[in-house]
Order: sequence, then structure tokens, then C-alpha cells
Amino acid sequence: MAFLTIARVWFWRFAGRACTICLLAFLVPRAVAANPATPAAEYQLKAVFLFNFAQFAEWPEKAFTDARAPLVIGLLGEDPFGAYLDDLVKDEKIDTHPLQVRRFATIEDATPCHILFISRSEATHLGNIVAQLKGRSILTISDADTFTRAGGMVRFVTESGKIRLRINVEAAKACNLTISSKILRPATIVTAGKD
Amino acid sequence: MNLFGTILNRRTPSPRRKLATLVGVGLCLLGLTPISAAETRAPLPPPSALKVLTLEQLMDIDVTSVSKRPEKLFEAASAIQVITAEDVRRSGATRLPEILRLATNLEVAQIDSRQWAITARGFNNVFADKMLVLIDGRSVYTPLYAGVYWDVQDTLLEDLDRIEVISGPGATQWGANAVDGVINITTKNAKDTQGGLLSAGAGTAVRGSTGLRYGGQLAPDVFYRVYGKYFDRADSVRISGVSANDAWRMLQGGFRIDWNAAANDAFTVQGDTYSGSLGRGDLENSRVNGANLIGRWSRSLATDSDFKLQVYFDHTHRQIPGSFTQDLNTIDLDFQHRLAAGASHQVVWGLGSRLVADDIVNTPDNAFLPPKVTRVGFNVFAQDEITLSKDRLVLTLGTKLEHDDYSGFEIEPSIRAAWTPDKQTTLWAAISRAVRTPSRIDRDLFSPATPPYRVAGGSHVVAEKLIAWELGYRRQLMPRLIVSVATFIDNYDDLRSLEPLAPPRAFPVEASSGIRGRSSGAEVTAEWRATPTWRLHAGFTELRVHSEPQPGAIDRSTRGSIARDPNHQFRLRSLWDISAHWECDAELRSTSSIPSQSVPGYTEANLRLGWSPTATWEFSVVGQNLLQNRHGEFNTPLGRREMERGVHAKASWRF
Repeated sequence: MAFLTIARVWFWRFAGRACTICLLAFLVPRAVAANPATPAAEYQLKAVFLFNFAQFAEWPEKAFTDARAPLVIGLLGEDPFGAYLDDLVKDEKIDTHPLQVRRFATIEDATPCHILFISRSEATHLGNIVAQLKGRSILTISDADTFTRAGGMVRFVTESGKIRLRINVEAAKACNLTISSKILRPATIVTAGKD
Repeated sequence: MNLFGTILNRRTPSPRRKLATLVGVGLCLLGLTPISAAETRAPLPPPSALKVLTLEQLMDIDVTSVSKRPEKLFEAASAIQVITAEDVRRSGATRLPEILRLATNLEVAQIDSRQWAITARGFNNVFADKMLVLIDGRSVYTPLYAGVYWDVQDTLLEDLDRIEVISGPGATQWGANAVDGVINITTKNAKDTQGGLLSAGAGTAVRGSTGLRYGGQLAPDVFYRVYGKYFDRADSVRISGVSANDAWRMLQGGFRIDWNAAANDAFTVQGDTYSGSLGRGDLENSRVNGANLIGRWSRSLATDSDFKLQVYFDHTHRQIPGSFTQDLNTIDLDFQHRLAAGASHQVVWGLGSRLVADDIVNTPDNAFLPPKVTRVGFNVFAQDEITLSKDRLVLTLGTKLEHDDYSGFEIEPSIRAAWTPDKQTTLWAAISRAVRTPSRIDRDLFSPATPPYRVAGGSHVVAEKLIAWELGYRRQLMPRLIVSVATFIDNYDDLRSLEPLAPPRAFPVEASSGIRGRSSGAEVTAEWRATPTWRLHAGFTELRVHSEPQPGAIDRSTRGSIARDPNHQFRLRSLWDISAHWECDAELRSTSSIPSQSVPGYTEANLRLGWSPTATWEFSVVGQNLLQNRHGEFNTPLGRREMERGVHAKASWRF
């Protein structure tokens, strides 16, 4: 262990000097604030997927009141993301539309929004939720097991610890939504009534 | 090339993948928080890092794994670049060597319709003998000349998972031949290639190509895929503009079965077979065929411990009329065990053995003597990754000891250090020794086949040796911009020479080890995700190679031609998602002249337009070598072949 101690001291000195001489301009350590309310890794990733859907889906023009209207990501039911999602989309813009997160207790409140994430807490009345949104240009996403069968557009599935997408392209098309091939390529395409 | 590429834990890692990651394979400065071995769950990278990943990369992250030890990606103490499946698709490449142009730390030169010279850090040649190339853990260099026959290395490109390209020595982990770099090609798990894929393409350089794959499920945890492919490639042209008559065609098929037997066990069985006919100008076509079969078992023993056992068999047959016919059989066995020793030591050790049976039918003009050779090699290695300061300083010490029938015992130690002062910066350094063991072309090649020889094999040829000094730096300058610099000084001894036996007469000559050399240079790469729909990759490589006779050696002829490397090369790639269904990708590459072969410098560009009207259909058109009618990349004027401006169209359908 004496060797390790010497090596450690030597390396610190060496590295420190090298740093000072060569890289002073670059090395500005940044403080990284820890978020006390960080959700589980699964929901951190799902939040990033929501952000990707905002980037790689296209809404009809009339879905926005004007060029500076926000692109709203709605959360229906129990919120599994916490402040993580808000921080994630803070200061982000899709073209000219700033991103905004809104939380809704019931489907009747869930307007206006462009993406709607439906929490597992709503699993018992998915059919009703989908029916209420019929014809509106809202990209519906959920990780509830029966979501695509109930007519939802995008379902998160966790397989062997990895997140997979099941997408009902027809349902999205019916609401005038276009999902980029960037998202469709790695996804599994399903048809109405399937898981 | 993908600097943002993450290397994440997988259930069924390819052979050596974990080993490679242990030395810090992975290039991202994503700020993946390192954790102590005691923690069971790897935290995710911060949001700023996750946001710039592609969908495929996000889908590769294991959110539940009780796994293992997180690889400290941003601490990579080697010059590595990662080519992802998305990079491959959008390159419009039709062959592995074309894909390798995406790794800007490689020298890639097309010689003719089918042959390529590919290496890193100098000494490029059609017989480039200092790179190790693996496809799913199977070494594909031929012990005939310790290089790679690129014409028979192929797979369905859509099934490629990733290609890791490391420039610089990797001998401690990978063994002899990993002198100037390692190219590690892995295909997807069968589970990730379910369903059908049919593709067809046609164009000028590739007259026709088609590929078919189908993947399904045999049992709840057993997945398979089978594939077949065929292509027919057009001639290159001589400098005079006359066709070189080197068109060729190949048929290949294969399968892969992946079985997750239990939570801790994974089995893979896979194999390929191919057959082809290769044009050789006015000479009779060469015939090639081959087959391989790989079996792999990996088991995780505890959160910080696992082992892997792999065995493969490989057969290749190459008949070059008028020259020689070779039948080569290889059996390789490889075992690796990874374990944690205390909180700050990660140990990997392993052993392996390879049997190579080479059978050559000679011709009167030249002969490999003896014609039949069976060689057995053994190796054992150990490596310890020591965390000297948590999250900041990691030291990796290791060595390989191997025995080869031609050169006896060789030792290949290395010491690497990675310093991570903050989450956006890595500074790394390494000193390594690597060897290239003699190949049959060094020891056994005689011309003509009977005495008196003009060229004689060298029974005194010893292993080529390298001591490499490397220093690298990576920095995430902005959330969307990563820059990486790798510098090196390589000192070579006992490089292959041809010593005149009756000087001052030029012939006869005998193969020997009479040259020493030094190369130095820098590899600079940058990746900028300018907007969510526009990415730019750039790479610049500066290289100097010098060689001279060793004391006592008198070869003056080889020295001048041993280095066939451009002093600088530059590549720039743009990937642009025009809309939900359209993509436009461009590639510009510029290479300086190769003075020893009088190859002029050149600049060329490719342009690709991709259209995905539905989730299952994709169409693309690629313009290749658009800037000039034709250009040559390698070889002296007499033997040089040039590639013409071309176009290629492709359609693929998933079902």
C-alpha cells in the first residue's frame, strides 16, 4: 500500500502541474447540483423520451395559436417525473415554441396540450381517456400495459431492463400527427387493438 | 464515428467487450457519475447528456440492471471511436471498409475493386499487418501475412450493432497483432433483429446487391435470425482509363441464436459461410470460400464478477490460380474472468489458446515452405484497474504473456492513467509495448519454389516490437460539442526487411528484421450536435513516419517503401434530418499525397438522400466520389487502380 500512496501523491503532483501548464484555459470545473427529487432511472429515461417526441413529432399548424405558443407536455394522473421533467425541458425550444409541462388531474382538464403522458394511475379508464381525445392532435403516450390496445398511440414497454416503444402509427395519423422515422425505426409498430 | 456513443452494460456482451471497456473503452464525456463497487445501481448520466443521445442509444440503457460495475465511459484511457448502427445506415456504405472511413483515426485507402489498405498510425499496405480485426470476437486476420483479406469480411450491414475502433496498441488485452490498433465489430443480439428485412440495391460500383434476414423466437428466451446476401461489384479502372477487369461477386449466409438461459447465464451460437469469385484482370479468377462457427457462454457470478468462455472454429479457402491455394483452419479458445478485489481494484484475467493449421498448395514461381504448418499459441493475461482517487484518477496496469511457435515468449505490458478533474474533461496517458509475431510470409515464403532462391524465407525473422507513448485529452466544450485529441510517439524495432545475401547485388534477398522506425502524430476529432436534427462530425489526423536500417542491416530498398502514409487527412460528415421522412447526409474527405508511391492527394465527397415514407419502407440514393471523374488512393502508378464517380440506389422493407 505504500506504493499506492506514493503513486497517488506522484500522480496528483504530476497531473496538477500538467493541468496548470497546458490546460488552464479549459479546465473550469463546473459545480453539478444534485436534484434531491430525482425519479427512478426508468422515469428519467422516459422523460428524455418525451422530450424526443416533442422534437421528432410534427403537429398540424392549427395546434398552435401562434408561433410563440408553447408546446405543452401534459401529465395526466399521478406524476412519476417530478421536477426532473420540468428541469429537462427548461429553456428548450422546438422551432419557435418553448416547451412547457402541465399537470392535469382529470382528462376533462387536459387541454390544451400537444403531448399527453397518461400515468399508470389512470390504467382503469384508458378507453375513456382515448375516446375523449378522439380527433384532437394530441400525441398520447403511456406505460400502462393495455394502452395501445385501448387505442393509445405510444406505449413504453420495459424489456430486460431496456425501454422499448410500441407505436400505433395509424392512430397518430388519424389525429394529423406525423411521427419521424427517427422514432419509428427503432420502435415496434402495432395496429389498433394490439399490444 | 460517434463521440457521444455510450458503451453500456449488456446482458450478452460480445467477447472482450467488457474487457475493452475496463480499460476505459467508450468515448463519452457524458459525465456518467462513477460509483463505488458497493453500489448496486448505476446512476444515469445527467439530463444534459441524455438529451443529446439518439433514440437507439437511449434504448440501449439498462434502467433496472442490478448490474455489475458501471463502465467509466468518460475516463477512456485510449483513442477510441465508436461507429453506431445509425452511423452505418446513414453512411450509405455498402461494405465494411467503406464504413471504416467513418472512424477518422483510421487510414483507409481503396486499392482496387475489392482490396483495401487499412491501418492506424502508419505503415499502411495491402498487407497492413499491425491491426487486429475481430468480428463478434473472431479474429479475422490471416496468419499468412498477419493482415486482413477485406474481400471476405462481411455481414448483413443492417445487423451490425457497433464498431469500436481503437488506434494505438491494445496488445495487453487483445494480444499480438494489436500493435497499431484494434477494430472490434459486433453484430446485434438476435432478440433485436426480430422480423423480416429485405433489401436490394443497384448502382455503378455495386451493380447489384440483395440481402434477406428473418428473425424469430424458438422458445420463450431463445431468439434466432438467419440471413443471406449477395452482391456483384463492378471493375475499377487503370490510370490509362482501361478497365482493370477486377469485378467480383460474393454469396454469404449465416445465423445467430441467443439464449438467455437464466438471469445470470447467456449463450450465443452463431455462424457464417460464404463463397465468391474474384476478378484478377486478365488472369483466371480467384475462388474463395469459408465458414465459421462461434459458441459463447457468459455468466455473471456476482454484481462485480463474471466470466466468459468462447470457442470458435474458422475455415477459409483461397485459390489464386498460378500463385497458390490455401486452406486454413483455426480453432480458438478464450476464457476471461472479471472480479473486484476490494473497493478500488477491478481485476480481469484470462487465458486463451489458438491452433492454426495452414495447408498451401504451391506453384513453381513461389512457395511457402514447408507447405503444411500447424501452429499452437497460448496466452495468459492479467490487468488491474486501480481507482487511486474516486471519480478522478484511475490507473490501469496489465500485461499479456504469450507463446508463439515462431518467436517464443512475448510480453506485452501497458500502463494507462485517466484523470477526470471534472465531469467535462478527461486527460489520459499510456505507455505500452506490443509485438507483431512473424507470419508465414516472413518466415516461409520462397521464390522460386526450388533453390537457388531469389527471395528466401527468413528463419531469423523475429517479432516486430513497438513501444508506444500516448497522451490524450477530451473535453465537452458545450453540452452539444465534444472535442478529443490523441497524440502519440511510436518506436518500432525489428521491422521486416529484405537483406541482400550477396551485396552489392540486389538479389538474392532473405527476409529479416533489420529496420527500425518511429512514427508520431495527432488525431483530432469533434462531434457537434448543432441542433436536434443536425449533427456534424469532423476528424483530422497528422502523421509522420520515419524508418532506417538497424545497425548491421544493409537493406536499403525496403526502407523507402515501408511507409505509404499520407501526412494528413481530414474528414467531415454532416447528418441532417430534413423532416420526419427525409434525411440528407454528406461526407467530405481529403487525404494528402503518398510520396513513396507517387499517389497524389485527393478530395472526394459522398452525398446521400434517404426517404422513409412509412415505418417499414426506406429508400436511399447515394452519390459516391462526386468531385472527380475518377481518382486513385493507393499504389504506384503502374499498379494503381482508380475508382469512378458513381451512384447507388437502395430500397429496404421490414416485415
